[in-house]
Amino acid sequence: MGRTVGIDLGTTYSLIAHMDPQTGAPKCIPGPYGSTLCPSIVSVADDGKILVGEPARERLLTQPDRTIYSVKRLMGRGVADIQDELTRFPFRIDETSSNVIRVRLGDKLFTPPEISAYILRELKTWAEKYFGDTVNRAVITVPAYFNDAQRQATKDAGRLAGLDVLRLVNEPTAAALAYGLHKQKRGHVAVYDFGGGTFDISILKLISTSEGDIYRVLSTNGDTHLGGDDIDNALMDVARREIRAQFAVELDRHGEAVQELRRVLIRAKHELSSSEKAVVKCRISSTQTYSREFTRAEFEDLIRPIVARTMAPVRLALADAKLAPKDMDEVVLVGGSTRIPLVRKTVGDYFQRAPHCELNPDEVVALGAAVQADILESGVKTMLLLDVTPLSLGIETMGGVVAKIIPRNSTIPASAQEMFTTGVENQTGIDVHVLQGERELAKDCRSLARFQLKVPPGPAGLARIEVKFLIDANGILQVAAKDLRSGGEHSIEVQPSYGLSDAEVEHMLEESIEFAEQDFADRQLIEARTEAEAILTATEKAFRDPRSAEISVAERRSIENSVASLRAAMAGKDYKLVRQRIDELNQATTNLAEILMNSALQTALEGKRLDDV
Amino acid sequence: MSVTKTQAQAIIGSICWSCKAPVDGAHFCASCGKVQPLPVGTDYFGFFGWPQKLTIDPALLEDQFHKLSWKLHPDNFVRASEEERNLSLDRSSQLNDAYRTLHDPISRIEYLLLRLGLRKEGTTKQQAPPELLEEVFELNESLDELREARAEGGDIDALRGRLVEEQSNFKEKLEGVDDELQAVAREWDAALDANANDAARDALLARMNEILNRRSYIRNLVGSVQKELE
Repeated sequence: MGRTVGIDLGTTYSLIAHMDPQTGAPKCIPGPYGSTLCPSIVSVADDGKILVGEPARERLLTQPDRTIYSVKRLMGRGVADIQDELTRFPFRIDETSSNVIRVRLGDKLFTPPEISAYILRELKTWAEKYFGDTVNRAVITVPAYFNDAQRQATKDAGRLAGLDVLRLVNEPTAAALAYGLHKQKRGHVAVYDFGGGTFDISILKLISTSEGDIYRVLSTNGDTHLGGDDIDNALMDVARREIRAQFAVELDRHGEAVQELRRVLIRAKHELSSSEKAVVKCRISSTQTYSREFTRAEFEDLIRPIVARTMAPVRLALADAKLAPKDMDEVVLVGGSTRIPLVRKTVGDYFQRAPHCELNPDEVVALGAAVQADILESGVKTMLLLDVTPLSLGIETMGGVVAKIIPRNSTIPASAQEMFTTGVENQTGIDVHVLQGERELAKDCRSLARFQLKVPPGPAGLARIEVKFLIDANGILQVAAKDLRSGGEHSIEVQPSYGLSDAEVEHMLEESIEFAEQDFADRQLIEARTEAEAILTATEKAFRDPRSAEISVAERRSIENSVASLRAAMAGKDYKLVRQRIDELNQATTNLAEILMNSALQTALEGKRLDDV
Repeated sequence: MSVTKTQAQAIIGSICWSCKAPVDGAHFCASCGKVQPLPVGTDYFGFFGWPQKLTIDPALLEDQFHKLSWKLHPDNFVRASEEERNLSLDRSSQLNDAYRTLHDPISRIEYLLLRLGLRKEGTTKQQAPPELLEEVFELNESLDELREARAEGGDIDALRGRLVEEQSNFKEKLEGVDDELQAVAREWDAALDANANDAARDALLARMNEILNRRSYIRNLVGSVQKELE
């Protein structure tokens, strides 16, 4: 049957959580390094092996050209969208990329959903190890302000990781859910979510009904490219400028020194949340070391413009909810960047109340995802999330103007019907261009998809095709068309403007399943060999023990035969055969083990009176 | 036996698709509990089981919205059959569309006129009401002067002041138009209660349509001044 989990697929860190049946509370699952945070970093080893998390982070320094971080910034975007990012992030984008980005890691190309899928698969492994059971369904969180293509890319990543994505939940909404469980509050709540790469603000109304609690999002706003990364980049700009002035050195964007510099600056950023100053030291060559002290005041001056950028979306979200800052009953802080004192102060001053930050801002989103996963999985609904679509949906009309058909902040699922007809005689197709965004002109909005409605030739205006646009509970668009004259369904092929087509995802899925099977077999073989080594060592040790002389010659020969066949199996690649030979050797040595055990027991008891035992 | 389209449409909403018990347009079958497709032609008022009246208690609407959301939301159907999942998606999206439309008194009226064929989506007439022509002319002149002064770096404070004054004049007019619209809306509700004839109803609809056009014109005007002032 398998388990269901909640996953926060973050820019900097990703987490996996589940509803703990013992406590009835959500809980994050730790990985092999003891932390619940998995760095969202993927690296490809020379032999093609994929490393995720901590091991990949180490390679950021040693193998930067085979390692990628902050891939979330690339999800659902085209090459034209990320030109600005390329000046700040060491992404190696393949030249052939257009509306689907392909990242080069070593000698291989990967799409952002594939890279994200590796992160999801790693987390899945953490949970499977923790449960001793398979994990195959998940709720995955996305920034509230993600558009259709970014959401679709996240869903694709889930599928590629072998997960049935039950729902995409907006990060601030998930946080509100975890927070609400904790506080049981009613009223208006503002969730200010400032993470590694994205900023979201959501205004919620918490309602208590006779059936249960409803968490209704009234409005949301944000910036999908504003986060702690930008603070790191501001620090980097200062340091690089100073290094240039001091040593006349231009650091290579892809080099090791840059990664090291970024690391020490991030450490300083963290320190400045609790201390008044932080020292930065970074070796940039064998003879040159960049060293300087940052005071908190200096840091705050540097990041003030970035923090200020978060307030425009906050004002817009409140205006859309028709509420004022004073109407908020609670303000909740989510995301690692809300640890920065200036952020807390800015938010507190604006809302005129101390924001809540009792819950770990790194974990709260994953915890909320686990709560929603549990509701969907168990079918026992104790609360209901009503979320909204962050951006208006529109279609292009004459002159490149966008006609809005579903306004932003509409509760989802939401739909709109539009009638299409022909404008000239014998027209055989009607082009439809679907967009997302708030601007008047199509060229300023995000293109979601284009399709053509095919109609039989005839007089102008005779064809009557009704197209239904539906934004589902994941915030993803579905389109269906009906021919009103014949009453039949009208098939359409929607070509997404950005991201992978269904066929491409299918193809990757097939490849990844083969790959995953191979992966699984490799891992099993390694584990079986390790176990075999252990039992062989133990057997040798037993033979060296003088008491092993007690066994018969036949028995000794049988053990020796088993040892030989185990060694032969270990040289091969069949993990099942290795396991079988281990079992055989175990059988053959049962008697020997008993003899040794008994004599060991005797040795232990010798010299002791019976009373002591 | 083949069912004609009209027969099929008549069946939708009258008997349960699953157990064939009569459902009479309800959201759920009273007998087997399965979610039902929406009968063809149901409007947003009908979705809540209401007549096409324009006075709606916002608290009641919100309460109904929350109650029905609890029952119809796709969260309830994650483990259901594909057919039920799709029906829930349809019904809950219609619930949200209906709430969004009826929640706002203006979009509620626009929707009614749309349903009754008096308006077409996105075809609001943008004609200056004759009685406002003179003031509109003055306002546009002030706007031009401000733009000019801004381009040439002239003194804009005085011009801004004049524009703000003129804008507040139009804002007042907008409020007046809103009051006028609500008054006709109440007349419409009374006409429904009194079972008024088609001619009387059509006259009220035409009046609301005319006021909406005027309203839209003034609103755009106020909006464009706002943009210029910011």
